[in-house]
Amino acid sequence: MNKKWLVLTPLAVFILLCAFLLKGLFSDPRELQSGRVNQALPAFDLPDLMAPQKRWTNADMAGQTYLINVWGTWCPTCLAELGYLTELRERGVTIVGLYYEQGYDPDFGDRFDLTALQQEVRDMLARAGDPYQFNMLDLDRQFILDLGVSGAPETFLVNGEGKVLVHHTGDVNERVWRAKFAPLLGE
Amino acid sequence: MRFVFVLLALVFAVSASAVEEKYDFTNDEQAALFTELTKELRCPKCQNQNIADSDAVVAKDLRDKVELLVKEGQSKDQVIDYMIDRYGYFVHYQPPVTPATILLWILPGLIVLGGFAFIILRQKKAAQKASWSERDEQQLQKLITRYKRKESA
Repeated sequence: MNKKWLVLTPLAVFILLCAFLLKGLFSDPRELQSGRVNQALPAFDLPDLMAPQKRWTNADMAGQTYLINVWGTWCPTCLAELGYLTELRERGVTIVGLYYEQGYDPDFGDRFDLTALQQEVRDMLARAGDPYQFNMLDLDRQFILDLGVSGAPETFLVNGEGKVLVHHTGDVNERVWRAKFAPLLGE
Repeated sequence: MRFVFVLLALVFAVSASAVEEKYDFTNDEQAALFTELTKELRCPKCQNQNIADSDAVVAKDLRDKVELLVKEGQSKDQVIDYMIDRYGYFVHYQPPVTPATILLWILPGLIVLGGFAFIILRQKKAAQKASWSERDEQQLQKLITRYKRKESA
């Protein structure tokens, strides 16, 4: 009896190992845990990308459920998701753009050309669709760092109390929307 | 010929120093803490690199932030907590003990204990088999006499 059980042990170990590796095969290493989910949105006070004299703060968005979409004209995936986000806007979703400027680095003496960037943004949104109520420019990327953003595109769902409900890395499409966002919006 | 060598040496000297980025600390302790932290914090974009190694924009932002926090006089734990608040436990190479990760600490110990238990059980069993009783002795004598007779016959 005991011996039979011993003979089966390598098989059991093998099956367990297979199950473990099979699970690893389907897990996405880019699926990151976020430090910000279920916490208050960090404070921001950022200029509007198109009209820099206007500043946006948390108070402007109080009481609204909305998406913050981190994007840049340099990012091909952002371009790809503009169409779907525009569709969401037409369905009544409020989307705020948070512009991620990655070329600019004051340490290297870069000069920042706002007019050129505005033109680039205008061209791209005219071509691919404009899902944004407005865009904020986070030139020193402090708010982006506070949000725990590692690249673009990333999308946050914020509720009326200013709490972050979802932090999604990668593009938003119909599948992602239904799986991650729609259930929380009661759609 | 010597001129060529000097030129080559110069070229390599330049390329070697170009890789290093400048982070100036007036305080040696802070410089050491900065080096330690940038080696221990993980780049959220290019995984399996620490932020000291990575050239990603986010890694540079994190390095700059670490520099700033260290210069403000924050301790190692404070800086790590600052990053974990934003990027999750992923950003630190040392995983914390939580219900989800407790297995990582317990499992090796369990395996070692299981191994010892296995060895002890086996030895006990072996010892039982090896014990030699009076009846075994008689049986042995019987067998010996039987085969002896056969041989002589």
